[in-house]
Amino acid sequence: VSAGDRIALPPIRRERLPNGLEVVVAERAGVPLAAVRLVLRGGASLDPPGRSGLAHLVALVARRGTRRRTGPEIDLAIESLGAELGAGVDEDATYFGLSAPVEVLPRCLDVLADVATAPTFPAAEVQRLRRREIAALAHDLDEPAVVADRALLQAAYGDHPYGHPPEGRVRELSATRRSDVAAFHARRYAPDGALLVVVGSVDASEVLALVRRRFGGWRAGGAAAAPPAPPAPPPRAVVVVDKPDVTQVQVRIASAGFARRSPDYFPGLVASALLGGGFTSRLMEAIRVNRGLSYGVRSRFLASGSGGLFLVSTFTKVETTAEIVDVALEETARFCDEGPRDEELERTRSYLCGLYPLSLETHDQLAEKLADLALFGLPDEEVSAFRERVRAVGADAAREVARRYFPLGDRVVVAVGPAKAIARSLERFGPVRVVPARKLA
Amino acid sequence: MPTPRAQSRVVDLDRVRAHTLSNGMRLRILADAAAPTVSYYTFFQVGSRNERLGATGISHLFEHMMFNGAARYGPKEFDRVLESRGGHSNAYTSNDVTAYYEDFAADALETVVDLESDRMRSLRLTAEALEQEREVVKEERRLRTENSIFGLMEEQLEALVFLAHPYRWPVIGWMEDIERISREDCEAFFRTYYAPNNAAIYAVGDLDPDRTLALVERYYGDVPPGPRPAPVPLGEPPQRGERRASVRYPAHAPALLAGWRGPAARSPDSAALDVLQVCLAVGESSRLRRRLVQEDELAVSVSISWGWRIDPGVFLAFAELAPGVPVARAEATLWEEIDRIATRGPTAAEVRRAQALLRSSVLHELATHHGIAHALGQAEALLGDWREAGRALEHYAAVGAKDVRRVAAEYLDPSRRCVVVLEPEVRR
Repeated sequence: VSAGDRIALPPIRRERLPNGLEVVVAERAGVPLAAVRLVLRGGASLDPPGRSGLAHLVALVARRGTRRRTGPEIDLAIESLGAELGAGVDEDATYFGLSAPVEVLPRCLDVLADVATAPTFPAAEVQRLRRREIAALAHDLDEPAVVADRALLQAAYGDHPYGHPPEGRVRELSATRRSDVAAFHARRYAPDGALLVVVGSVDASEVLALVRRRFGGWRAGGAAAAPPAPPAPPPRAVVVVDKPDVTQVQVRIASAGFARRSPDYFPGLVASALLGGGFTSRLMEAIRVNRGLSYGVRSRFLASGSGGLFLVSTFTKVETTAEIVDVALEETARFCDEGPRDEELERTRSYLCGLYPLSLETHDQLAEKLADLALFGLPDEEVSAFRERVRAVGADAAREVARRYFPLGDRVVVAVGPAKAIARSLERFGPVRVVPARKLA
Repeated sequence: MPTPRAQSRVVDLDRVRAHTLSNGMRLRILADAAAPTVSYYTFFQVGSRNERLGATGISHLFEHMMFNGAARYGPKEFDRVLESRGGHSNAYTSNDVTAYYEDFAADALETVVDLESDRMRSLRLTAEALEQEREVVKEERRLRTENSIFGLMEEQLEALVFLAHPYRWPVIGWMEDIERISREDCEAFFRTYYAPNNAAIYAVGDLDPDRTLALVERYYGDVPPGPRPAPVPLGEPPQRGERRASVRYPAHAPALLAGWRGPAARSPDSAALDVLQVCLAVGESSRLRRRLVQEDELAVSVSISWGWRIDPGVFLAFAELAPGVPVARAEATLWEEIDRIATRGPTAAEVRRAQALLRSSVLHELATHHGIAHALGQAEALLGDWREAGRALEHYAAVGAKDVRRVAAEYLDPSRRCVVVLEPEVRR
């Protein structure tokens, strides 16, 4: 491995504030913008029973009013400076993302601190956003791919805290009160264990001084939540979400995966790319190139804090639904049996290594990567030694990780389409349950 | 008129090396070692505007055919060779252009030049590949149009806005035409539109300009030029009143799409329409977000898209409405807001906000090799000059509140609007 193979990271400064907030600043040349990510441990998996969507709602409502500013004032303060402020959650964390011209970063960080640490959750804004989120779920029902992803989480994880969509369900959002929102914030938004990442053409010392001023006074008694227990593997099951009028069926196949910190991460990355990564992967070739069954297919590991899934996603016309599942499973079984060819393995590793710098090119991308590493307690070395780690994955390791995780045994199959036309043909993949689309809201 | 604080020129385009080969192919090179990668874009000056009825969608279907093998690199080899050298490729087709790109580790430049010149010189169009890509494209149409609310509505809207211009049909083409396009159609299409005199290359990244120019000369120099493409019919009769269509679909919520025919991208009004777009619907503090989403709670989301095109394009407004909201009420509110900005114009503060957001958006676009290469190609294809990619901020800075009011009044007149309404159909 040559020295040039190392991925060069910009100089990174780290500091832990007395209140426990971990600050990471990367100074980097490039366009005069700065990317900021504030990450709070705990996301949708902390939604209390019967309150799915709560963590997401809290993140959205936080910017709708603080002790110093109303929601519209926050919007105007940020946007007049040419900046953007976003908020959201995934299963493991809550994120606030800021992208701003460097010269206005101090003013934007002031707003960000205000939003994260001192929101007042005005009752009218809580109710309005709750209504909007419920209305947005109706539109989601008209997007077959979104419906498939929602159905998959439920089918694969069941009652585990990862099993509900982060955006929540209509029935539970309808029951959510302002007091739920305020209580979640009081309990879960705490500096201890939270992360603040800043990347851009900034002066790191200035940024650190600024962060100490804006976030140093953040006091909150919230206790760090224990991560959820590892999820059970998905059952052998088929879920058909009935949408009688679509002419194309969205298909998902999922089996048990691994947690983000697993030593299987790199072998898994290579194996999933071999099976369903780029344009020359096995699934792409079998499904798109050789059979014209779909416009796209891909496979990947979804690695969360406490566990994960291996997921194949594709779509095809109604008539070829069972065929595309057959082909995907046959190709998967063949790969697990034979392992990769030498040329194929070499090509895939080169592909992953060559493209990796592109995934760190913008300030936002690097901020996201550094936040991800810090959230899961992974070393920067995962980035700088990425190519060595990928090249170290041999044919045996790729085949072994495939055999352990790819859908050979128990797996869920989700198909969103006209149940009358497809349900029977899917029975050979497991017991079929038909769910009307509206039940996914 | 205040100018943005920071420098308006964000990429030093004086360093772009521009050259035209003797066969007419244009080449623009920019060295930038910020990341050890190169982005290599090939723009062909052809899109759905160059098509005819009966063969709509051929530009896009043909884009797929470009990945199916040529003389030196046979079927399936293009991506295999590229990926084995640490690269990635894709392409897109629009109303105006077809663009191909490779993003790759810098040391693979010669391989990429070899691959791209091979398919420009000697693409192989086999019947088998055509049949397979036809099926893939049909799936793409089912994905993006037939089973997508926005796709269904947009197809209707373009057919309302344009009576005569080829922008009338969708880029992906009508399903029946996708079925009908023949290998002979593809061959004629290739000879005309994929000749070097109809193409331009943009190479941006960690490269040496002299060496890159020499490589391109060596690999493409002997590709013969093709015939001059036929002119595009531009006649579009004036619109003398609102045009409407409805889409009945078993959706869970209603939606509203409106469009107006704007100017050509080259018009000086294009920049003012960008500012109008931001005032109306970019950001939470934009007028339509505030009114339709926050205050009146009629919509879940609202967006504006002013798409720059070679010929006069569409200024489009899309709102996903809350279930149960009468579409007529949302429509009336939208017209009221548009009338307000067309009558009184935006405030100076709104214009400054829009300029600040547009500046950030240009910076984001120019933050990557890929983004710069694309911006150069887009500027040359639509505006006739790649240098325009660096002038966007100057154009935005020159826009005042009066300009925004004038373009809103001129282009968004009620008698020139087209409206598509999604009516959720109740299934029994």
